[in-house]
Amino acid sequence: CSSLAGIMLLEVFLVLGTVIIYFLLSKKKEETLPFKEGWWGKGQKPDTEEDTTIRPFKVETTEEELSDLLRRLDQARFTEPLENSCFHYGTNSVYLRKVVSYWKNQFNWKKQVEVLNKYPQFKTKIQGIDIHFVHVKPPRLPEGQSAKPLLMVHGWPGSFYEFYRIIPLLTDPASHGLSDEHIFEVICPSIPGYGFSEAPHKKDFNSVSAASVFYELMLRLGFNEFYAQGGDWGWLICTNLAQIAPNHMKGLHLNLASVTNMGFIHLLSILLGRYLPGLFGFQDEDVKRMFPFLKKRLCRILLESGYAHIQATKPDTVGCGLNDSPVGLAAYILEKFSTWTDLEFRNLEDGGLEKKFNLDDLLTNIMIYWVSGCIVSSMRFYKENLQKGIGTQKHERLTVQVPTGIASFPNEVMHTPQAWAKKKYTNIVSFHFMPRGGHFAAMEEPQLLAEDILQFVGKVEKEQLWRKK
Amino acid sequence: ESILSPIRSFEYSQKNAVLVPAAALGVGGLLVYWLRSRYTIKTTEMGDGWWGSGERPLKGKEDESIRPFKIETSDKEIEDLHRRLEQARYAPPLEGAAFHYGFNSNYLQKVVAYWRNQFNWRKQVEVLNKYPHFQTTIEGIDIHFIHVKPSYVPHGRAVQPLLMVHGWPGSFYEFYKIIPLLTEPAGHSLNEGDVVFEVICPSIPGYGFSEAPHQKGFDAIATARIFHKLMNRLGFKEYYLQGGDWGSRITISMAQMLPQSVKGLHLNFVFISRRGLRRMISVMLGAYVPWLVGLTREDVRRTYPFIQKNIYELLRESGYLHIQATKPDTAGCGLNDSPVGLAAYILEKFSTWTDKSFLHKDDGGLESKYSLDELLTNVMIYWVTSSIVSSMRFYKENFSKDPGLTAGARVGVYVPTGIAAFPQELVHTPRAWAKETFKNIITYSYMPRGGHFAAFEEPKLLAQDIMHFVRKVEQL
Repeated sequence: CSSLAGIMLLEVFLVLGTVIIYFLLSKKKEETLPFKEGWWGKGQKPDTEEDTTIRPFKVETTEEELSDLLRRLDQARFTEPLENSCFHYGTNSVYLRKVVSYWKNQFNWKKQVEVLNKYPQFKTKIQGIDIHFVHVKPPRLPEGQSAKPLLMVHGWPGSFYEFYRIIPLLTDPASHGLSDEHIFEVICPSIPGYGFSEAPHKKDFNSVSAASVFYELMLRLGFNEFYAQGGDWGWLICTNLAQIAPNHMKGLHLNLASVTNMGFIHLLSILLGRYLPGLFGFQDEDVKRMFPFLKKRLCRILLESGYAHIQATKPDTVGCGLNDSPVGLAAYILEKFSTWTDLEFRNLEDGGLEKKFNLDDLLTNIMIYWVSGCIVSSMRFYKENLQKGIGTQKHERLTVQVPTGIASFPNEVMHTPQAWAKKKYTNIVSFHFMPRGGHFAAMEEPQLLAEDILQFVGKVEKEQLWRKK
Repeated sequence: ESILSPIRSFEYSQKNAVLVPAAALGVGGLLVYWLRSRYTIKTTEMGDGWWGSGERPLKGKEDESIRPFKIETSDKEIEDLHRRLEQARYAPPLEGAAFHYGFNSNYLQKVVAYWRNQFNWRKQVEVLNKYPHFQTTIEGIDIHFIHVKPSYVPHGRAVQPLLMVHGWPGSFYEFYKIIPLLTEPAGHSLNEGDVVFEVICPSIPGYGFSEAPHQKGFDAIATARIFHKLMNRLGFKEYYLQGGDWGSRITISMAQMLPQSVKGLHLNFVFISRRGLRRMISVMLGAYVPWLVGLTREDVRRTYPFIQKNIYELLRESGYLHIQATKPDTAGCGLNDSPVGLAAYILEKFSTWTDKSFLHKDDGGLESKYSLDELLTNVMIYWVTSSIVSSMRFYKENFSKDPGLTAGARVGVYVPTGIAAFPQELVHTPRAWAKETFKNIITYSYMPRGGHFAAFEEPKLLAQDIMHFVRKVEQL
């Protein structure tokens, strides 16, 4: 494998080493994570009471915004790729030219803004910053049924827009061939610093801060009990939310379940799991997805985590050019939609992007980053969460007792077997190997994800599992 | 007397009759092996390469002409730049962030204002053209270099050819202040006496005005080979080498490839990736009994606390390396389209790698060591040549083949070597560790001040050390 084993191996060892030490020194606690107070607005916190109104919001655009974008697309400077490099060196600029040409000539931002506005959006001030969210209620409810609130949190480089295809499957399942035993009202906020949510002005806004803000949001919307769903950063924020407010969360559904608090047993399972899977609780599918470990885990992490390394250390530097060049922004974001959907796409000249997504959706997501100018603040989230290292934060040692459902997609960048997940998520109600799909599950396989959410909620509701914590 | 007595009292017996020759053979064999290994120098394979587009032409010899070259600009180029500077979009920094999150955008706006209103690119182009530039085609690509000869050579003095190789995110321009100190030392009150140089500074292929390779696999070894061919084409059989950053890696490869052509190797950056038990023990003991493992007090001061300086800080500063070594085309794309983004990315290094304490400053301490004109001229070289992406690919090509950068350590360096250890360099390599790879260290100097961009920041100090080293080598 073409790995950076040298210096970067040191990195991995340091992380593992730190983690082992913490494991040895700490005991698994069942305590809750404290709610994180904060004030993220500009300057000093004012003495006046915070404005808690919920204001309707609509995405808007202007001619100026459009002509500025077009001008930048016209003046874009590309560098020819190396011969036969496909997507191995990053986004292939020959394919990028095609995307930019579509962006200039066919993509219709005004029309996409209307698409974005088809769901009701709102803003409300929490802890000093404006939080944007989409709130979709079911169009109709059968007699005697109430809508279950479902908080869905996006990640990077995604946005609330990732959920646009799955929302109708959850708010109106019957019209989409799904069982309407459970119907949801869906709330998709934008993480502060992403999209139309204001970026924090102060340092130290991490996943626990985001979880606390979203907790306040749900309470402000009048929800005392709710479900939460997430992948990428959404996974971590919803996990933290489950740790902060376990009595309010009926169930937690994840399409990514990473476990960073590893211990000696984990290491052992890495070394021997391929040969003695049963001993470590690995299923055949786990072995298939995880081994050979060096190639599928270590090399993969090294090859694919450069962005995380630089964003966790110098976000303002790396984001600067991307906030000024829409083409650079597109290249940076599209690379993830390609590689994280299927690692094999790196061998394709066009990165396989249009196999699973359409350019309108991909560009709409990129436009959200562009028009809100949020790429830099979105990257800062990495530094706030990772700067002390992985496995070093308090919440990573805490477990989750809330009923959890995990949808494990085959092309997710890293696979976490149930055997590992259950050390942290002590109440796994459902764990399914999904037949296809990658990192951006809601956008790529909305039907599969919706079905898994529905069956999970079904289990939780049937046995009223949230009462048994 | 006491030594000879057991020998005199040696009794002849059958057992001894076998033992003696066996011992002699053993000792003799070891002696021969030891003597041989001292003189058998391993070298790196030279190999060959083709980096032009398409297939290598089967017929015809390569055009070996050396063509004079001048940097040019146009109104169009300047207007395009100005337009982009004017339309730049900034994200406000977090309160109290200084340079801890990367380049502070408040300070960046000031730099860009200077760039737009005061910086004079036409004037800087004239500055760049003050030294003679050339281009020549080697292995299918155009190699750019400057070649500066001393204007006056005192009677009887030998002029030493010196190849100086830059790194990332630098360029040949980093050497502009040090060149006169080396070609005309007397004129700059550098009484290093008898040493005068003619200096050749090439641009690494993919950087500045050297054409970027069109094929995959262009690494430091290929660069080393091309630079040897360059020196050969210029008529030099033996020469000195000097380098920092990638220049260090490349010149080391050159010394390992053709040691007979390298009179001496001077480095201001040494990164030895020698892992292993012995190193670990040295690190652990070094904090408490440095003398036992060959570390000096200055070494200890610069190397410890070990985890902090060599692991934590390195991790904090190597994000760029990680992304460039894996996804250079992605990382460089926006930078080739936004000069402001390019400046932030490059100038962040000129801040942090010059002095780590600059992280705490709102303006990154940049103008305390450099002028905006010289910093922006270096950035402009990347901008006008659109070479940021190809410059980043060099990381991927090198790290893919040799992730631990251990090849150098395995082969060893036998040419006379001089090391200038600057205090603010990213990593400090004590002489005790360096000599595991560099078998022939002639000088090792703890420089009093200066960081990673030594030639740019402390040209006089570096020039003095180069001359001090070369004088010693010439005396050998």
